[in-house]
Amino acid sequence: MDWNFILGIILQFVAITVAFTVVLMIVAYTVLAERRVLAFIQGRLGPNRVGYGGVLQPFADLLKFILKEEIVPDKSTKFVYFLAPIVAITTALMPLIVYPFGPTLTLPFLGEISLVVARFDVGLLYVLGVTSVGVYGIALAGWSSNNKYSLMGGLRSAAQLISYELSLGLALIGVILISGTLDLSSIVEQQSGWYGMRWNIFFQPIGFIIYLISAIAETNRVPFDLPEAETELVAGFHTEYSALKFALFFMAEYVNMFTVSMLAATLFLGGWNGPFISVLPWLGPIYFLGKVIFFLFLYIWIRGTLPRFRFDQLMNFGWKFLLPVAILNIILTATLALLGWI
Amino acid sequence: MSAIFFILFGGLAIGCAVSMIVQRNPLYSAISLIGVLISLACIYVTLAAPFIAAVQVIVYAGAIMVLVVFVIMLLNVEEEERRSLRLRYLVPAAIFLAAVLVAEVTFIISTVDDSRIQQTHPSVSSNPSDVGLTASIGTHLFTQYLLPFEITSLLLLMAIVGAMTLARRASFTSPNVRVVPGAAVLPRHLIDPDAVADATPVEANTTAEAERLLGLEGAPHAREEN
Repeated sequence: MDWNFILGIILQFVAITVAFTVVLMIVAYTVLAERRVLAFIQGRLGPNRVGYGGVLQPFADLLKFILKEEIVPDKSTKFVYFLAPIVAITTALMPLIVYPFGPTLTLPFLGEISLVVARFDVGLLYVLGVTSVGVYGIALAGWSSNNKYSLMGGLRSAAQLISYELSLGLALIGVILISGTLDLSSIVEQQSGWYGMRWNIFFQPIGFIIYLISAIAETNRVPFDLPEAETELVAGFHTEYSALKFALFFMAEYVNMFTVSMLAATLFLGGWNGPFISVLPWLGPIYFLGKVIFFLFLYIWIRGTLPRFRFDQLMNFGWKFLLPVAILNIILTATLALLGWI
Repeated sequence: MSAIFFILFGGLAIGCAVSMIVQRNPLYSAISLIGVLISLACIYVTLAAPFIAAVQVIVYAGAIMVLVVFVIMLLNVEEEERRSLRLRYLVPAAIFLAAVLVAEVTFIISTVDDSRIQQTHPSVSSNPSDVGLTASIGTHLFTQYLLPFEITSLLLLMAIVGAMTLARRASFTSPNVRVVPGAAVLPRHLIDPDAVADATPVEANTTAEAERLLGLEGAPHAREEN
């Protein structure tokens, strides 16, 4: 093994660490933003005491999570009980490495820097695969707690994720048909026409809406937060989790929100593309994170606005409406692509 | 480098496979099977077949095993208890078959020419970059192997239709019964639980009328539903 190889591995580790740190910081402030925006919608103030306007609140929360007492239910299945939060947070963080945060930048002294950790042929399938394994975190947490509310939450989440994963995957097929590749970086580069505005949303409006709805269901957010519906199930699958293990589930939910927002921005809103991107390439990360933050705000807005679905409404909507529309969208896109119109 | 990964993931796969058989708790077995599938996917990645690896994780670990775990959780299956072996004659048969398998593997390993493996290995072949990639798999699947591919999908469709036909409840109305407006047509076993398999419909407006038609008035079970 030569030194270049080892240096390459070290650089990869550094890149992964930087990506994770940036994302986790944004996630921490998403939690704060959610509490403040919800408070604004509901006519309250929200947390505004720690630091100026509450900016240090996420760190205060984290400190509290670490110092809290760990309570493990006596009759729980210990191994699975400890495994579940690990699975949840690992599968939430793993997809981060394939997203292109920006174009290749040329920096003084450092040379060319590519703002994507790993670029490979099946990037999109990798994201879908890791996300589909993520359901075990929730399902196993619900089963191992030995609590009927947790079990109901776990079962609901498994059923919900299976149903909505189908529509989500089918909504993405339209984009794949247009771009002809599964590599996220190539998909973004293809959307750079029209002065950085040739976004896939203009060719895939139906697919975009289907993706947005299924993504909310995939991340267990309001109005599809049946697995943790507090009015029925106490806290759903994480009822029996306390201290840092609860914090891991909490973080996993927000990282998942972040990843589905990144996927939406990458596939439908042109990723790091935007006006003047060809002259000012360092605008790329700003555009990308701006789009992601827009989606995060949309999530919070929806949570503050819509009531929760009933479980049978959720299933009917997923299987009888969303799935047929997604299939029709594929047929339409394939026909248009075959005729050469897009 | 790839040898390290092969030993790591191969060992993990074998360990998980053994654990899957040994575990008494069905959910632990299911988790071990997920471990096997994911380790195999990692081995596929080192063999330059990323598409197969991704599909393995999405289809097997992410979809089929979720259903298995779902059913185990839903039925709340208890741990298996060791029962006395009923089919004792199967033990020597199993040992014999295992011996045959081991012999086969040993034969293959000892006789196969190493040099030919080197030639067909994707990382050594003339065009290494596109053997396991999505585009080449897709092209081959929809041109050269179109017929087998379509036949396989037809087979899966038949399996789905078959499962639905088997699981479907008996039809509530048979085509030769005319439904009178305002009259309810009930399958007989709703009124008479003894006739469980009998799906002959009964024409009546109320349950009481149906019972009278069937001559079931005053039967002990007939009133329980109300």
